[in-house]
Amino acid sequence: MRETMSEVNLNGVKQNKGVWLVKIPKYLSQQWEKATEKGEVGTITIGKKQGKTEVRFSLSEELTARGATGESDASLQVPRHHPLTMHTVKGQTMAVFSQTESEISLEGMVVHRAECRAVASDNYMKLKKLQIQESIKPQRFSQQLEKAVTHVFKPVANHSFNVAYQKKKKTEGKMVRAERQVVLDMLFSAFEKHHYYNIKDLVEITKQPVTYLKEIIREIGTYNSKGKHKNTWKLKREYRNYESEEEKDEEEMQTV
Amino acid sequence: MTSLGGSSSSTTEYTVRVPKNTSKRYNIMAFNAGDRVNCSTWTQARMERDMSARRIYGDDESAEGAGGSEFGKKQRDEARRRKYGIITKEFKAEDQPWILKVNGKGGKRFKGLRKGGVTENASYYIFTQCPDGAFEAFPVNGWYNFTPQAKHRTLTAEEAEEEWGRRNKVVNHFSIMLQKRFREQERGGDDEDESEKTGKKKKNIGRGGELHITDLEDDLMMSSDNSDSSMGEDADGKSKAKKNVGKGKKKKRKSNDKEAVEESDDGDYEGLEVDYMSDESSSDEEPEKGKPSKTEEHLKGIDEASESEEESEEEKPNEEEAKEEEEEEEGKKTPVQTEKKKKKDSSGESESSDDSDIEGETASALFMMQKKRTPPKRPSGRGSAGSSKTGSRPGTPSIDSATTSNTLRAAASKLEQGKRQNQGPTESPAAKRLKMDPSSQSPAPSGKSTPQPPSGKSTPSSSDVQLTEEAVRRYLIRKPMTTKDLLKKFQTKRTGLSSEQTVNVLAQILKRLNPERKIINDKMHFYLTE
Repeated sequence: MRETMSEVNLNGVKQNKGVWLVKIPKYLSQQWEKATEKGEVGTITIGKKQGKTEVRFSLSEELTARGATGESDASLQVPRHHPLTMHTVKGQTMAVFSQTESEISLEGMVVHRAECRAVASDNYMKLKKLQIQESIKPQRFSQQLEKAVTHVFKPVANHSFNVAYQKKKKTEGKMVRAERQVVLDMLFSAFEKHHYYNIKDLVEITKQPVTYLKEIIREIGTYNSKGKHKNTWKLKREYRNYESEEEKDEEEMQTV
Repeated sequence: MTSLGGSSSSTTEYTVRVPKNTSKRYNIMAFNAGDRVNCSTWTQARMERDMSARRIYGDDESAEGAGGSEFGKKQRDEARRRKYGIITKEFKAEDQPWILKVNGKGGKRFKGLRKGGVTENASYYIFTQCPDGAFEAFPVNGWYNFTPQAKHRTLTAEEAEEEWGRRNKVVNHFSIMLQKRFREQERGGDDEDESEKTGKKKKNIGRGGELHITDLEDDLMMSSDNSDSSMGEDADGKSKAKKNVGKGKKKKRKSNDKEAVEESDDGDYEGLEVDYMSDESSSDEEPEKGKPSKTEEHLKGIDEASESEEESEEEKPNEEEAKEEEEEEEGKKTPVQTEKKKKKDSSGESESSDDSDIEGETASALFMMQKKRTPPKRPSGRGSAGSSKTGSRPGTPSIDSATTSNTLRAAASKLEQGKRQNQGPTESPAAKRLKMDPSSQSPAPSGKSTPQPPSGKSTPSSSDVQLTEEAVRRYLIRKPMTTKDLLKKFQTKRTGLSSEQTVNVLAQILKRLNPERKIINDKMHFYLTE
C-alpha cells in the first residue's frame, strides 16, 4: 500500500509509446486465461482491402475449446475469427499507467481504441444462448423441502440453558467481598488500561458484589451520566495521572 | 508493419501474447479532451492515493486503551450495529481516488476517480507492440478519470448563492474573491489586533465591492418603512444608476431585522426603474485592494499622496454624474453633493459613510471596533442626531463619541489632522468634535419640534451637502419623512454644521415649506406634493 507520494516513471510517455485499448468479450478473455505459459493466444491480421484497413483477431486453435481440457471437438467451440473495429481517440486523452508494489509508471498513450466483435456463426449463437441461460437464473430461488421444518416448542420444566446457568451460579457461589484494599488495587489497575468502565464490566473484572463495589468506586471515581461516555465510571481527578492529550484537553475544558 | 502497394489487399500478421506472470497491474488514466493534457510535456509527476475518506468511513482509529477509551467499546459498537442492521461499507484502498501532481509545486493537480462497472461485462486489454513485432495484451485493472483541480479560490455553494442575490447591485466582481481571501486571512489571523482591524475593516467593506446605486435601499430602512406606499412612490420612472466599474464601494448593509422583509431578493428589483440619486453618489475611490494593506500601517497618519489621489478621483465621477442626471426631475445636482449614507439596521447603530477612503475606512474600522463593543449601550434615538465627526466628503463616520477610547481618539485626531491639511479650514480636530458632541446630543432631540430663532445659519464651506430648502423639498416630495429621517440625511459632518445648528436650520426650512403632515406608525411624517 502506497502511503507516500510516489514518483511516476514517465519513460513510456517520453518515448511516445502508443498503445491500443481493445475491448474483448468476456468469453474470449476467459479463453485467454487458459493460455499456456508462453502466453500465445492468437494472431492479429492487419490488412488493407480496397483501401480500407481491416484488423482481425484469430484465436489460436487450442484455445477454442470451451471444455475442461483442450479438445478441439468439444461440444462448444468459441469462434475463432473476430474482426476488430477501430476507433480514434479524438474525444478523450487516455494514458496507461501501471502499478506494482513499489512503483507507478506511465506506460504510454492510447492511440487507438478497438472493439472485438464476433462473427455471427452458429457456434457463436449457441455460445450466447448458453450464456444467457446461465445469467437468467435468479440468484434466489425456491426449493422444496422434504421434511417440514417446525419449531414447535414443547413445554419444558426448565430450559437447558437455564439449567446450565443455574448450575454455574451454584458452583461459583456468591461473590465474596474481598478486602477493600485489594479491590481498590484491582480497580486502579483496570483504570490504567481504560478510562471509562461500565459498572457491569467492573463487576465482572473484580468479581465483587455490586453494592460493595459501588461503595468503593464512589470513593475514587465519578459517574458520567451524560457526555460521550455515557453511564460509565471514571476515576476522580486526584487519582488520575494519565498523560494523554485528551486528558489535558478534558481538564482544560473543564477549567474554562 | 509493412504493407506493399500494388495489390489491393495486403495483410500482415502479428502474434498476440498475453503474458501470464506479470505483477504489474495496468490501469487507464483518462483525461477530458477539453483539458488539453499532453503527457509528453510532463517533466515530473507524482501520484498517490487520496485516503481522506478513511476517517469518514468509520474505522476510526480512536485510540484504544489510550486516553478517553472505554472498556469494551468496540464490542458494544459492533453489537449495536448488528442489532440495528447497520451495514457500513468497507473502506477499500483500491477504490480510492488518485491524486496526481504534475511538474512539481507550481504545476497542475489532478484527481482521478475510479470508474465503476468497467470490468463487469467486457474486459479491456492494452495491446502494446513489442520490438519483435508481436503484440502483448495486458488486462486493464481499473479505469480512472482524471480531472484537473482548481488552484484558484472558489466560492462555496452558500457564498455563491449570496453573491447571486447581489448580482444586480454589485458591479465590481473582482472584489468578491478579494473579500473572501481577506475573510479567510482574518480567520487564521496571527495578530489579534490586526485581525480585528482588518476584520472590522472588512465588515466595513463588508459585502464588498458593492455599489450604492440608489437611495432606494436607504429608504427601505427608514422609519416609515413598513408602508408599501413608500416603495410605490419611489418607483416612479427612475432608471437605475450604473456606476463605473472598478470603483468598489464599501457598504455595510445589514438586513433590517425588525421587519419581515422578503428574503429572496432575486428578481425583486428587476422591474423597478430608479433614477440616479442626486444626493448620493457612489463615486468612489480606489478599489479596496490598496486599502487593507495600508490600513495597519496608516492608522496614525495617512499618506498624503493617496489622499489627494482619492480626492481627485472623486471629482471626476462627480462630474460624470452631473451629466448623467440632467434629465432628473429634481434636476439639482451639484458635483459637490456626494453625500453618502449608510444605514445600518434600525436598531440605531450610527451610520458611517461609505467612503472608501483610507481614512474613512480606517477610522470607521477603528470606530466600528468601538461600536461593536458597545452596541447595547446605545440608545436607539441617537443614531440620527449624533454625528460626532465633521467631515466633508471623505468624512469620517459618525460614532458614538461616548464610547471612544482615548487611544482611538488620539489616533482619529491624527488622522483628521493629516486629512485636514489638504482640505478646507472648517474642520476642527476630531477630538474637539468628539467633545462637543455629548453636549450637543441632549438638546438636539428636544429641540426638533420647536422652531428656534435663526442663530446665524453658518454656511458650510467645502461641504458636500447643503442643508437647503431645495434639498429638503426634494426629499419630502419623494416620500414622507419624519424629522429624524431628515436629520439623518443632513449629517453634521457633511453639512459642516453642528447638530444644534442643523436642527435650527431644518426647523426653519420646514416652517417655510409648510409640508403636509401625516401620521404613519405613530410617527409624524412630513411630505410635499407637487
